Amino acid sequence: MIHFLEASNQVLFYYYLLSNLAYLVMLIIALRTSAAHLRHLESVPLQWIKGSPLAPPITLIAPAHNEEKSICVAVRNLLDLDYPQLEVIVVNDGSDDSTLQMMQQEFRLRLVRAVYVAQVTSAPVRGLYRSDVDARLLVVDKEPAGSKADAVNAGLNAATSPYVCVVDADSVLERDALLRIMVPVLADPERVVSVGGIVRVLNGSEIEGGRMRRVRLPRKSIEVIQVVEYLRAFLIGREAWGRGNMLTIISGAFGIFRTDLVLAVGGYRSHAIGEDFDLVTRLHRHLMEKGADYRIEFVPDPVCWTEVPSDLRSLGRQRARWHKGLLDVLWPNKDMLFRPRYGRIGCLALPYLWLFELLAPVIELGGIATIVLAACLGVLNGALCLQFLLFGYAFATVISIGSVLQEELTYKRYNDWQDVARLVSYCFLEHFPYRQLHMMWRLQGFWQYLRGDMEWKPMKRQGLQSAGTD
Amino acid sequence: MVSAFETFRRLGPAAFVLKAIISVIVADVLLLGFIMLRRTYRRRYFAKRDGRLFEFRERWDALISGEIPYATWRTKPSDRQLVETMVLDAFEVAGPEESGRLLKFMRASGLVEKSISDARNHQGWRRHHALVALGRTRAPEGIPALAEGLRDRNPETRLAALRGLGQMACPEAAVEILNWVGEAGLVVPALPLQSALVQTCAERPQVLLPYLQHAGASVREVLARVLGEVATPSLGAEVLQFAEDTLPELRAAAARALSYMEPGLAVNVLSELARDPIWFVRLRAIVSLGRLGHGSGTPVLLHGLNDSNRLVRLRAAEALVDLEIEMVPIFEKVIAMGDRYGLHAYLTALENAGLQAQLEGEIRAMRRGSKEVKTRLLEVLRAGPTPPEQNGPQEKVSAVAASRS
Repeated sequence: MIHFLEASNQVLFYYYLLSNLAYLVMLIIALRTSAAHLRHLESVPLQWIKGSPLAPPITLIAPAHNEEKSICVAVRNLLDLDYPQLEVIVVNDGSDDSTLQMMQQEFRLRLVRAVYVAQVTSAPVRGLYRSDVDARLLVVDKEPAGSKADAVNAGLNAATSPYVCVVDADSVLERDALLRIMVPVLADPERVVSVGGIVRVLNGSEIEGGRMRRVRLPRKSIEVIQVVEYLRAFLIGREAWGRGNMLTIISGAFGIFRTDLVLAVGGYRSHAIGEDFDLVTRLHRHLMEKGADYRIEFVPDPVCWTEVPSDLRSLGRQRARWHKGLLDVLWPNKDMLFRPRYGRIGCLALPYLWLFELLAPVIELGGIATIVLAACLGVLNGALCLQFLLFGYAFATVISIGSVLQEELTYKRYNDWQDVARLVSYCFLEHFPYRQLHMMWRLQGFWQYLRGDMEWKPMKRQGLQSAGTD
Repeated sequence: MVSAFETFRRLGPAAFVLKAIISVIVADVLLLGFIMLRRTYRRRYFAKRDGRLFEFRERWDALISGEIPYATWRTKPSDRQLVETMVLDAFEVAGPEESGRLLKFMRASGLVEKSISDARNHQGWRRHHALVALGRTRAPEGIPALAEGLRDRNPETRLAALRGLGQMACPEAAVEILNWVGEAGLVVPALPLQSALVQTCAERPQVLLPYLQHAGASVREVLARVLGEVATPSLGAEVLQFAEDTLPELRAAAARALSYMEPGLAVNVLSELARDPIWFVRLRAIVSLGRLGHGSGTPVLLHGLNDSNRLVRLRAAEALVDLEIEMVPIFEKVIAMGDRYGLHAYLTALENAGLQAQLEGEIRAMRRGSKEVKTRLLEVLRAGPTPPEQNGPQEKVSAVAASRS
């Protein structure tokens, strides 16, 4: 027993150390990459892309399920995006409310006979509607299938552009987001097959007519902690993985893909829990098996603002679902692990995800339990353990503050002094007690997946029109 | 097994861990301090910069005319950068007269010379920035410095030089790019090259023709696409030679360029190209026939409705709908073809153009034909295609019937 406790102490110590060192390396890479990206942008003015006849057409696919409150504002914003050749496809995923009727009124939709080639599987389509107000808008009305992936597949079947961009209907894209996300594609269209943009927290900011008017930090602590988390995940994690062409997730809220490749891998997997992660992993597999020279990029400046859970219950459900999604993708792709055929993805990115993401709740919570047990049995050097925990906590906080620093050095969206001060102060709360709570939700997700509980529980949302009024 | 904590104890860990804790706490404090100091510095910097910008804006005409001595701002790097940015931004939206005035100012004040010097002497991102800025000046004396950038070993520098030359938007810049591509081959991604060539060849597309005849296959493909974008009536019959080229991209470019020519000559060649074995050549030919909008192209467009490629069928249908001729005879011919997919494409194009009601009106007002014929035409117009035929294209088409209700 004593030996077991000592071994688990060892594991926990080295695990913490490795995890934080990995993040420190990523922080350094991300700082360098962001600086290079900003300099690169100086020589590619966005208005050139806007005016270029060679900018490839993009189809925006926005699945919508019971979004009657915000759908019209969201669609208007999508149509207002700066991009020379744009098609917007809204997929009404069997809404029970008046989502379709609201769009019919606002955009004067009429049923059309447009060709719908079912290249990837999705639930039956009831009708296709084109707008008389703006011919770029097509609405696909389909039977519900209970998954976003199925709705996106219906949009993919109707898409006519060489690139598709999947967005959430309840998110807010910045006006130049498409121009910015296309910068890597235009620089190297043969190799760049997909690009992800940054997702930021919408809660607390002032929204007017569905457009971001003023960026503010949310008021609730639980939301501010998520801001820190998102900054760390996107500005450090994705930036660094993207630099090494090892990006395995492009957020489902905002990402661009080459249409032919998405169709080639069979579109989104209808019953995948983490459909975005699943698609990118399958793209990697497909391209590596073909021996293709390709890149999946991340660009940190095209911003998509999205609403995050504002209560613990919703947040817990979301995180449990994310963890189920992680397991749902990693397990079927375990054959890619450590196989040279899958390059850096199989030898570095996926093992990292297994060790520091999937198994994190088991190792961390298990480690904490053994420390408590060792203390109870009197085999623990209390003072030294406290010092170790303090060291781990302070080290992890350096990383979180580093992500705020990265934000300050580069994109600086939070201009208010108070916001920055609050953001920094919440960096100290992220690793205690929030991290432990987060691990419990993730463990719950693990357990639910093993039990076969795949039910999707909806998150409480305020919607676009009320964001920022809290 | 000895625990990690025990190992540290043996190594004198108390001191080590304490040092580690102090280090990370110091790191936390330093990061915070840096954020605060940087914010303060930036606030002051931008306040000062905005003030200076406002001063320059207020005295814009005096600045451009040289009334304000150049020495007052040229020697301070921050002021010089500010003036350069303002002038280049103004240049992008200026008309010909204002552009001339701004260029004269940039030459007289030494900004062009400074840009040329920076583009030649800087390294890394500073050079990239200088190359693009030099291109934005549109001063032809900058072309040799940009051409040097094209021959740099760093791919990013080559791309920046290419962008700069693209901004020059003059045939001299095009010649430099084409000479370089001729020497080095396709050493940059195709799209930025195409983009730069489209900008520089727009004024005189003839510049491309000699290179198109002698370039290697991959470069020729790019040049062909550029030709397709920039072709104007000024090219005249010169594009006809490419209509029978072995490279499909070049045939497609010729098809596109033919849409700018006289219909009398173009329709015959386009009719040939609309039967090309390569789908995108046929597509280009059909689109061009639609753009010409000449009635003599109708049989080819009707044939395009039967094409094995969906995009060709859709574009042929759009072109037929856009023809400014009586719609009923065309509609009858589309039905008579007996191709469900062609009819589907035609009806879709009709709906998208919002011309369904007009066709219905024309059918009702039709003097010839029996009542049964009219009823049948109206029925097809409303109900759409009949069930799929055995020998139609092998696509799974789910025709979402408009008449579902």
